Amino acid sequence: MAAASPAWSQDHYPSRPIETIVPWGPGGGADQLARLTAKLIEPMLKTSFPVVNVPGATGATGMTKLLSGDADGYSMAIYIADTNALLAGPSPRWKLSDLQPVAVMMQVPSFLFVAENSPIKDWAQFEKEARAKPNTLKVATLGFGSVDDMTLTYLASKGIKVVEVPYAKPSERYVSVIGGHVDALYEQAGDVRQFINSKQIRPIIIFGKERLAAFKDIPSSYELGYHIALPQFRSYVVKAGTPPDRVKMLSDAMAKVAAEPEFKAFLDENFAAKGSFLPADKAEVYFKEQLADMKTAQEAAGTKKP
Amino acid sequence: MDGVAHQLALGFLELLSPANAASLAVGLVVGMLVAVLPGLTLVMGVVLALPFTYGMGVTPAIVLLTAMYLSGTYGGAFTSILFRIPGEPLDVPLLWDGYPMARKGKPAQALGWTLVAALWGGIITAVSAVVLAVPFAKFALRFDAPEYFAVVAFGLSGVVALGGASMSKALVSLCIGLLLATVGVDDTYGAERFTFGVPILKDGVEYLTVMVGAYGLGEVLARMEQGFASPPMEGSGRIATRLPRWAEIWRLRATVARSSLVGLLCGIVPGAGATVGSFIAYGTEAQYGKKRDKLGTGIPEGILAPQVASTATVGGHMVPLLALGIPGSGATAVILGAFLLHGVQPGPQIFQTEARMVYTIFASMFASVVGMCLLGYFAIRPLVRVLALPEAVTSAFVALFCFVGAYSARNSTTDLWMIVIFGVVGYLFERHRFPVAPMVLGCILGPVAETSFMTSMIAYQNDWTVFFRRPISGVVMVLTILALAFPAFRALRQRARAKERVGTDAPSA
Repeated sequence: MAAASPAWSQDHYPSRPIETIVPWGPGGGADQLARLTAKLIEPMLKTSFPVVNVPGATGATGMTKLLSGDADGYSMAIYIADTNALLAGPSPRWKLSDLQPVAVMMQVPSFLFVAENSPIKDWAQFEKEARAKPNTLKVATLGFGSVDDMTLTYLASKGIKVVEVPYAKPSERYVSVIGGHVDALYEQAGDVRQFINSKQIRPIIIFGKERLAAFKDIPSSYELGYHIALPQFRSYVVKAGTPPDRVKMLSDAMAKVAAEPEFKAFLDENFAAKGSFLPADKAEVYFKEQLADMKTAQEAAGTKKP
Repeated sequence: MDGVAHQLALGFLELLSPANAASLAVGLVVGMLVAVLPGLTLVMGVVLALPFTYGMGVTPAIVLLTAMYLSGTYGGAFTSILFRIPGEPLDVPLLWDGYPMARKGKPAQALGWTLVAALWGGIITAVSAVVLAVPFAKFALRFDAPEYFAVVAFGLSGVVALGGASMSKALVSLCIGLLLATVGVDDTYGAERFTFGVPILKDGVEYLTVMVGAYGLGEVLARMEQGFASPPMEGSGRIATRLPRWAEIWRLRATVARSSLVGLLCGIVPGAGATVGSFIAYGTEAQYGKKRDKLGTGIPEGILAPQVASTATVGGHMVPLLALGIPGSGATAVILGAFLLHGVQPGPQIFQTEARMVYTIFASMFASVVGMCLLGYFAIRPLVRVLALPEAVTSAFVALFCFVGAYSARNSTTDLWMIVIFGVVGYLFERHRFPVAPMVLGCILGPVAETSFMTSMIAYQNDWTVFFRRPISGVVMVLTILALAFPAFRALRQRARAKERVGTDAPSA
């Protein structure tokens, strides 16, 4: 009997809790996604999904933890655009082929915002000022090497040169634009919805192929001729080599999670794209496309920053 | 004003509803437990509680989180004072005087003082949040990177107070701390520093391992050297909480006033917070306090100042959160998340649209303060009894706590090695009369100082005068320079006076 039990647990995946590594601090976007998904998926797969926060080095610390474990499907990690961007940088610690995508859960477009009382009325004016006086307008971002940075570097290559000011802490980043210390803020709308709804900031451009219904008067980068759209995506991955049937089981369950009304409401709150969800096979293609886009943006911008 | 009082009274009534009262009680107890465990930080605790609030109404949810937050700034005091393990970084300054006082055989008094401090800090912060919320919120918007840097630099200048006898040793210790903080991948450009190609070092040195290692484990090692020979505190079990008398508190009114102000301001400023506030309050006390020379030997001033300030930051943080929707700390970021999950938008309009809820939250702050102090009062007696156990037994538990704390922060076994290394470092420091405090200060505040310095340089075209040209940062920088120059100036004057005395005394002798 004792010898039979491991075989039994092999057949019945999942037979123990599946941990989710969040390579970011508690309370952030990745953490919120993991905790909501855990709540919705637990009754479907009949096991618990504990969330472990392993922050550090733009997500690299958490990825190292995932890759040092077994490829048995009992450990997943949240993988976001900023972590994917590390692969476009110098000496990444892992390769895309080390990961097996499970599902993309959220795709959130980014915007440039200005303070509600800013003298900058719209994108046209922002562009005019940036071209007339290069490197005077200040834009608050997450930091160098991030997706924010790549977008601004791309714009600089098109003659729109601004000073990029990195604020790692979100609160400082938001105070900088509302308090008038910088001219604009690069951010996803969901993270600053309280400021949008209380009319403290307003968007001037969305980086995407098309406009968003919630902001139908705001032009998109593609319609203005700037071919850059690096949405913040949040996805689930496991270590490469995980048995395909387990990946499929997780991916199918994630599809059901994405269809739940509570999850849809979460997407709306975060101004995420309606068709955010991508199953395992499509997610893999998506990661590669995103990485190619980033590399193109960097090449368009010429030499990389140190 | 009448309107505010009326609203607040309604808030108290609302608080009596079973849902609100229950979440208040649960929040207080859980917050205190979380704060006691090093590694399980306050922010982490609030995050873990968040999913439980999904099903609640918005008011009980926020009441729960706020109560946790408040009592979380107090619970760590117990372990800091009794075992020299800071449960949270904000508890570090507390042990500088709290622990010596406890070792002198007065643990109940030391805990009594923290109770008074938390009570006062909590009340002043709740009152200020109610009265100042709207006008003061705008103040937060005037802070940018240069101001954050100035505030942290002021916090670092507190080192002059921490050195004990030797200023030069304190500066050496501080620089070691600042250097440790630079290990790993730099925040601004992603450059690797002092990693020597070792992957472990890439992730940097977690300040928690330095803090818990150098203090907690270092102390265990020091006691082991003496063969755990110091006798258990006789009769400590008999001592109930010894609250300070009113006259004793009144004598320290200047200390209380200074640290309340420091705490409130550090709360309102988004970049600062309870930890910075706690350090600055202790530093201010060391600069301007009447008994500054005795600080660090176990006097009540050194316990009051950091505890009053760290509890006082809570109300400060609630101000920009409610009035502007800006979370100034990790814990308030989670509270903001809870607001948004329930479809409530904090911002200038919230005082009109959700007045009922806002004032219930304010009322819950008052109730939390009273509740946590009652809880503390009854917890002190059994906790002090622990000290009556043989030293070897308590030391074993202290070591266990240190390792659990270090591991749970990042779930990394590397941190277990780190804590052993810093335990030995802390022990060697003490043995050779090198102050540990400046190193810990450097580790905690160093990264904040560096990032805000770099951001300022990038935003203001590498012009260093920006720190002095902007009004707020200018004032704080001048205070920092004065704080650093003052001890040197005083030493010079004392030397001159000593010479004078020698001159006048000589003929008569």
